[in-house]
Amino acid sequence: MAYEGVFDALGLREWCDAAGDNAPLSMADLLASTGAAGEGGGLPFPSLDVLHEACPQIVQTRDVTAALENGFLAMRPELKFVLDPLTQPLSWMLDSALWFFTSVPWWVLLPALIYLAWAVSRSRGVTLFVALSFAALGVIDHLEVALETLSIIFVCTSISVLLGVPIGIAMSRSKTVQRSILPVLDLLQTLPTFVYLIPLIFLFSITESKLYGIAIILYAIVPVIRLTDLGIRLVDRDVIEAADAFGMSNRQKLWKVQLPLALPNIMAGVNQTIMMSLAMVVIASLVSAPGLGVLVLRGIRNLELGVGLVAGIGIVLLAVILDRTSKAALARVDRAGKAE
Amino acid sequence: MRFKYIAAATLTAGAFSTTAAFAECGEVSITEMDWASAAVVTSVASFLMEQGYGCDVTVVPTTTVPAMASVAETGQPDILTELWTSYTEVYDELIAEGKLTEMSKVLSDGGVEAWWVPAYVVEEHPELATLEGIRANPELVGGLFHDCVTGWGCDVTNFNNLKAAGLLDAGMERFKHGSGETLAAALAAAYEAREPWFGYYWAPTSVLGKYPMVQVEFPPYDAEIHTCNGLEDCATPGLSAYPKANVVTAATTVFAEREPAVAEFLTKMSFTNAQMGAVLAAQESDSLSNEEAAVLFLTTYPEVWSAWLNDEAKAKLAALIK
Repeated sequence: MAYEGVFDALGLREWCDAAGDNAPLSMADLLASTGAAGEGGGLPFPSLDVLHEACPQIVQTRDVTAALENGFLAMRPELKFVLDPLTQPLSWMLDSALWFFTSVPWWVLLPALIYLAWAVSRSRGVTLFVALSFAALGVIDHLEVALETLSIIFVCTSISVLLGVPIGIAMSRSKTVQRSILPVLDLLQTLPTFVYLIPLIFLFSITESKLYGIAIILYAIVPVIRLTDLGIRLVDRDVIEAADAFGMSNRQKLWKVQLPLALPNIMAGVNQTIMMSLAMVVIASLVSAPGLGVLVLRGIRNLELGVGLVAGIGIVLLAVILDRTSKAALARVDRAGKAE
Repeated sequence: MRFKYIAAATLTAGAFSTTAAFAECGEVSITEMDWASAAVVTSVASFLMEQGYGCDVTVVPTTTVPAMASVAETGQPDILTELWTSYTEVYDELIAEGKLTEMSKVLSDGGVEAWWVPAYVVEEHPELATLEGIRANPELVGGLFHDCVTGWGCDVTNFNNLKAAGLLDAGMERFKHGSGETLAAALAAAYEAREPWFGYYWAPTSVLGKYPMVQVEFPPYDAEIHTCNGLEDCATPGLSAYPKANVVTAATTVFAEREPAVAEFLTKMSFTNAQMGAVLAAQESDSLSNEEAAVLFLTTYPEVWSAWLNDEAKAKLAALIK
């Protein structure tokens, strides 16, 4: 075996053999016993499993993963005690929004939504597009699922923006805060969602809507944080100096100078947050979120290509509606800012 | 120009003679479905084909529906194993067309689909192993039925069975899971917390191997009632247990003709639920990888798998059969 000599030389043989060798038989061992030509001795990387073969006291990698699992299960009651009340409002908001969007009759809700699009964007093209999209979704019987998805996106995006902008502002004030939060943002964007969702099922019941709410928010909050931080940091130094010269307090500077000048970047962040929330729709449906994601999954699972495609296009339509509306709103804010 | 023709003819003749001269097995592709029992089956089959028959095995990780679509359209991969045929209508079509040949029932006892309640709940209240007991006290099993995933087909069957059993009227709620992973996680979470749980699951699986559950009693399988239960607009839902799910190994007919020795081995390869359940339970408790679980099977049941092999293969693996 590869590293046996090392342990013998270090005088650790007795300590090593104190642990019984109860490692399960590996495929390599089985092949060796059939007399099949192995891949030769060679020098494998000194991983935990390889070292375990030479010295049974050393834990195997599977013991490390098992320890993580047992640690989590042991902490469960305390984690649940802390996290449950913190996240309960999210469940309540998602359930209320879902109830609202599905119980208000369409001839009240759709005109209200189209009027909202007009009020925010003041653009005839955008409003017409919104109206036509809803009509198209309604004609193919996808209106209720589209509204369910829309309600989830509304709630998750609002919370993402409400939490993300203050965090971005905090990051922009201090390099230390920025340096400590950036790795967390990287983690949130790249850690596979199911890796933390399945343990969350152990904490909260699967029937709770906060499960998919947390999944969407944790992924979608990142752009608005990054872009708020960037937008505020990009405000011209000369303007800040002028504000200081005028004797503005920090709070006045933030509200009257930094945020208005950073607004285009912040709005870009909000736009990206909306897009990323919609990108998470299908993963949210994997943890039982209602809406268009369910239809996409059904199409994938049963090889009903048409069902999956149409539902996917429905998600794209929602994305384009929200994108155009928020961009038109941004253009209005920009124009108003420049007019001053 | 003539030289090119002669060269082409020589090469083709050479190619044909090469394949004729090789009695050894060639390249084989086999599916590995994304659940534990399927991974064990594929590992065992690959090992025996490589070491016993000298095949060059390529394992294709996949799942039921894409594998069936691939075989139907392209004739690849060669071997599909752990196919649960009741959930793929296209399987019967392919058999009828002659594209696929059924090799064996790889899980000889068939898959078990049923409704389950944790063992510790039934210990305290034995009547909860019956539908009447659950109907009388739905809160004792948690008041929630964990239904199978939307789009799997069993969600419709379960819904109609729930209606027929009167459980929906008795106040039982029904939660449709979004994926098999959340269903398994919900079961595990409830078991770890010693909470009541009631829902649909299937065996042989790692989850049921790790957490002892009790099957809820159902009247025996009735083909007519079960077929109607499978339709969303069934006017008269009735109570019927699930039939033993047919779990097979199938190979393309082309492959079966190309490699008759391997095909014969596949017709004999078959695991009982007891054997598979024991391997899966050991895999869960000792955190074995899929390969190590296959090794466990190979070292624990040499009499079983040596019966599947032909004499040549048995000779090559004599060291393991002892």
